[in-house]
Amino acid sequence: MSELTVHDLHAGYGGAQVLHGVSLTVGEGEICAILGPNGAGKTTLLRALSGMVKGRGSVRLDGAELLGRPPDALARLGVAHVPEGRGTFTQLTVEENLRLGAYVRRSGVEDDLERIYTYFPALKPRLRQAAGSLSGGEQQMLALGRALMLRPRLLLLDEPSLGLAPLVTRELFHIVRAVNEQERTTVVVVEQNAHLALGVAQQAHVLETGRIVLSGTAADIRADEQVAQSYLGYRV
Amino acid sequence: MSESTQVSDRTTAREQAPARPAATRWRWAAAAALLAAAVYAPFQLVPFHVFQLTMVLIYAVALLGLNLLVGHAGQISLGHGAFFAVGAYTAAILLDRWDAPYPLTLPAAALVAFVLGLAFGVPAMRLRGLYLALVTLAIAIFLVPLLKRFEEVTGGSMGLSLAKPAPPAWSGLAEDQWLYFLALAVTVAAFLLAASLLRSRVGRALHAVRDDEAAAEVMGVRPAYYKTLAFAWSAMFAGIAGCLYTWVIGFVSPDSFVVNLSITLLAGLVVGGLGSLSGPVLGALFVMFVPSISQDINEAAPGVIFGLLIIAVMYVAPTGLAGLAGRAANSIKKTLRKG
Ligand SMILES: Nc1ncnc2c1ncn2[C@@H]1O[C@H](COP(=O)(O)OP(=O)(O)O)[C@@H](O)[C@H]1O
Ligand SMILES: [Mg+2]
Repeated sequence: MSELTVHDLHAGYGGAQVLHGVSLTVGEGEICAILGPNGAGKTTLLRALSGMVKGRGSVRLDGAELLGRPPDALARLGVAHVPEGRGTFTQLTVEENLRLGAYVRRSGVEDDLERIYTYFPALKPRLRQAAGSLSGGEQQMLALGRALMLRPRLLLLDEPSLGLAPLVTRELFHIVRAVNEQERTTVVVVEQNAHLALGVAQQAHVLETGRIVLSGTAADIRADEQVAQSYLGYRV
Repeated sequence: MSESTQVSDRTTAREQAPARPAATRWRWAAAAALLAAAVYAPFQLVPFHVFQLTMVLIYAVALLGLNLLVGHAGQISLGHGAFFAVGAYTAAILLDRWDAPYPLTLPAAALVAFVLGLAFGVPAMRLRGLYLALVTLAIAIFLVPLLKRFEEVTGGSMGLSLAKPAPPAWSGLAEDQWLYFLALAVTVAAFLLAASLLRSRVGRALHAVRDDEAAAEVMGVRPAYYKTLAFAWSAMFAGIAGCLYTWVIGFVSPDSFVVNLSITLLAGLVVGGLGSLSGPVLGALFVMFVPSISQDINEAAPGVIFGLLIIAVMYVAPTGLAGLAGRAANSIKKTLRKG
């Protein structure tokens, strides 16, 4: 639905700079994959996009500057962030978690709940259950469903496959693609599992120590020898 | 056939809490029974015990407020007694200086405590953990000298003596019974208010901030706003409880609201159980009766006994008495189902 333009983004924690001038563009309704080793700054990049860490440079969504606004203001603008580790509200029920996803909106919540159940039928019988009692896969589904309750223009996913069984991960990416196709949501997904990420993304960037070292279409990146060795585990 | 039974069995086992409708029915039944007992009790007890029960209700309202802050918003306050005192003094001063009618003192006490809670909450809620504990403790410490200082309105260390609300003739009640029913009505209203608050969108946001502040924030929930609001609400309930205290005791003095009160309230809440509606009631029973029981056990050092009892309860029931009661109720239900 929306175009994301990141230009010369610097961000970090206190004195420690993590991102050193990241620039990228994600077209309307596209999925963009961010690959890179641990500690490269992938999580920090998503945090900067959702306002959880401060940044310098420019982050525009359909032309509107996002940098400098607090996270809740960005949520109101339609930026949904599924954080690393899912951020499940473990003591709340599944339904309460979903309703919190629509916190910044007041209308159409019931319809959206129904829409979420069509994407995630497994959640429906568990609505009254404490979210902490869900399996890891179900919690990741819940986290994604909760983010969709915002009706996001920009969806940020931080390593959704982390700690999940391969079958569950594949199902999850299947849903991500379905959402992207049906709702034209622009998606930025950070992933260690490059196979899966490149399978759904149109374009990808490789981030190393806070800088983008390689950009291209998913097919280009997949064909790159260096990437193949480092992230896909085979030689081209 | 056996296949489907197995599946449904597994679903039940996975559910941590039973499905809401059944749980709700149990809870309503328990609440109704408790209310019936509460209405019946003052006609069966001697006046002193009625008075003690009235104090339990008052502490329950104060703990209900503290629970909003500690149990539901995940913050801490060592100064809750100060807002209790604010409510008590607001009512006392209104009655003493302006001869205000009793019903008016209740909303006034609630409002003054709420506004003060908001005023302290805005800066305090920027702090965390020990720093917050320290600042709230300071509020409680400064209160007593402050009350003594403004002698013209507060009566200084002598305090203020007031007439208690008299039972109207139509009620046919004795004074202790009338005070008890006033406190009971306010308590029930306060619990209903808190319950509906917690069930709303606001309650969900509060719990979200407690569970995972960062995740709540990216969903648009402003943690600082909710923490401040929780602080103000908790102060408001403390103020309401303080007003009831003035009605029932008919006397306020700085020495009734020393720092110890704040600490006892926090201890009572933790012992009663955080984050549930029954926790404040159980905590109130603890706050009311355990100090006098400790006195009976050892006159020389009731504080030591009180402390040991807290440790004992936390050892047996780390989630408080409410958690213990919940577990007992569950096992009784299971036994009933099996039998
Ligand atoms: N909360 C934090 N405070 C300070 N430094 C952090 C914090 N989070 C991450 N870092 C540092 O920032 C760098 C990038 O981390 P991160 O963005 O989490 O990388 P990735 O997600 O690519 O593994 C690392 O060196 C990490 O130690
Ligand atoms: Mg990361």
